[in-house]
Amino acid sequence: MKINLKELTIEKAHESLKNSEYTVTNLVNEYLKVIKEKNREINAYIEIYDNVLEQTKKAEKMFKNGTATLMTGIPIAIKDNILFEGHIASASSKILKNYTATYDSFVVKKLKEQGVVFLGRTNMDEFAMGSSTETSAYGVTRNPLNTSRVPGGSSGGSVSAIAMNGALVALGSDTGGSIRQPASFCGIVGLKPSYGTVSRFGIISMGSSLDQVGPLGKTVRDTEILFNAINTYDEKDSTSIKKENRLKSLPLKKKIGVPRSFLSGDGTDPEITKNFEENCKKLEKAGYEIVDVSLPLIKYSLAVYYIICPAEISSNLARYDGIRYGLHSDEQKLYDVYTKSRRKGFGKEVRRRILLGTYILSHGYYDAYYNTAIKVRESIKEEFTKAFLNVDAIITPTSPYMPFKFGEKLEDPVSMYLSDLFSVPANIVGIPAISIPSGKNKNGLPFGLHIMAPFLREDILFTIGKDFEKLAPNEI
Amino acid sequence: MQLEEIKKLADLARIDMSEEEMKEIAKDFDSILAYVGQVQEVKLISARQGLDEGLDEKKPEDYFLHNVMREDIVTNKKGEYTEKILKDAPDTQDGFLKVKQIL
Repeated sequence: MKINLKELTIEKAHESLKNSEYTVTNLVNEYLKVIKEKNREINAYIEIYDNVLEQTKKAEKMFKNGTATLMTGIPIAIKDNILFEGHIASASSKILKNYTATYDSFVVKKLKEQGVVFLGRTNMDEFAMGSSTETSAYGVTRNPLNTSRVPGGSSGGSVSAIAMNGALVALGSDTGGSIRQPASFCGIVGLKPSYGTVSRFGIISMGSSLDQVGPLGKTVRDTEILFNAINTYDEKDSTSIKKENRLKSLPLKKKIGVPRSFLSGDGTDPEITKNFEENCKKLEKAGYEIVDVSLPLIKYSLAVYYIICPAEISSNLARYDGIRYGLHSDEQKLYDVYTKSRRKGFGKEVRRRILLGTYILSHGYYDAYYNTAIKVRESIKEEFTKAFLNVDAIITPTSPYMPFKFGEKLEDPVSMYLSDLFSVPANIVGIPAISIPSGKNKNGLPFGLHIMAPFLREDILFTIGKDFEKLAPNEI
Repeated sequence: MQLEEIKKLADLARIDMSEEEMKEIAKDFDSILAYVGQVQEVKLISARQGLDEGLDEKKPEDYFLHNVMREDIVTNKKGEYTEKILKDAPDTQDGFLKVKQIL
């Protein structure tokens, strides 16, 4: 049984499974074969779950008794910060190396009901802190398109799993660009949904006011299907949006904004700027009017992010005390149990960000940093609300950098942080955003188009995304 | 930033750190704080300014900021999750977490 995994989509797989052209077992085995062959080099997966066969059987039963949905039997990879009961979830940190999830995250529970097959957990930057998957305690992940380059991050493992054809779709999490930037680096589609659409219950927290789980896939349609499968109210997440507040899709103005003055700053790779201009022309060809939008405060988004996020990290990661779960350093005194467990358990970038957050929230600096940042955040939100009065969406490149080499930015935190320059504003504002492949350079490295839409208007991203896809077909 | 300040932060955050790492962090902080310090130059526009022109635009948090309440009653059986949760704990005794003497 040979299945063309490269061309496979959820709908194609569903048709074939429904018509008994092949079984879920056949499909899953094809993916496991690829993983066996490629994962040693790519290191997309940290672990392949031991109950894949059991999950497969359950999905097959659903096809037999007529309860199968579009997602039934679909092989999926999940990021290592998503809890799956009975399995380890480590956030790619040593401190959670042996932590077994005691319950299912909301997203896993939802997908289980639909008979999805979870293949395994994927590598990531430790606690999702990074843009290259180099800060993982379990080794780097390589970009399947060019193994001398990083896959981006922090969801580098989930993205690489798809790009190497080791999963049909995947879940990632995005706090400042961690779904979209790696999607762009590996030539696939990644969606960060609106804040509050997908429950964060059972997701290992980083920056709680910014974190959002989202889908990754080869096509816009695949990410849409996966998003629809997890986009529901959850009483266990206090920021989950109630059903009655969720919007239905509305007609488009067919107008797209470009924040020209924000894009004209140096630091963006000239190749990326050129590709972006071509993308604008393609969208014009698809019938969209491209207009300039003024967002004078957007350039402060990354600075706001690197205040709010470390602040939230320092409080969220206080829970790792070496006592209730996770790595424990056996010492004489309680104080030493804390400090030594946290020294041994946390990696360098995590330690740096905890200290930064501690500083930002400390007496004497709180007003200058945290308080100012949350006010600027409000102003940026207003600026976006105003801009969206005239346009359906706002576009930028996904990242100012092309996929870079290992070690290139690891020693220079600000330079690493800048790779999220264009993706961070959507997290600051809470709006949905998607990255879509937009061709490759002469060395075969992919470009990404980044589209942002008003709050709860994922439908706009799917519509424009599909129009763009027709003009710029993706090849992995 | 001074090394002494980093030492204080490491203590507050309960992370044991080598002198070498603290020096490195002190250096990193200078460039990070210079970058994030940009926010202080922003002249804040007044809240909702210019958003009044026939606008009934909700802010994102208007959708999700609501209290989640439930009855204050026990919803699980006694000890239902104890074993499962303690399995992840490094040190336990008689169904409790074991910690070092604190007094």
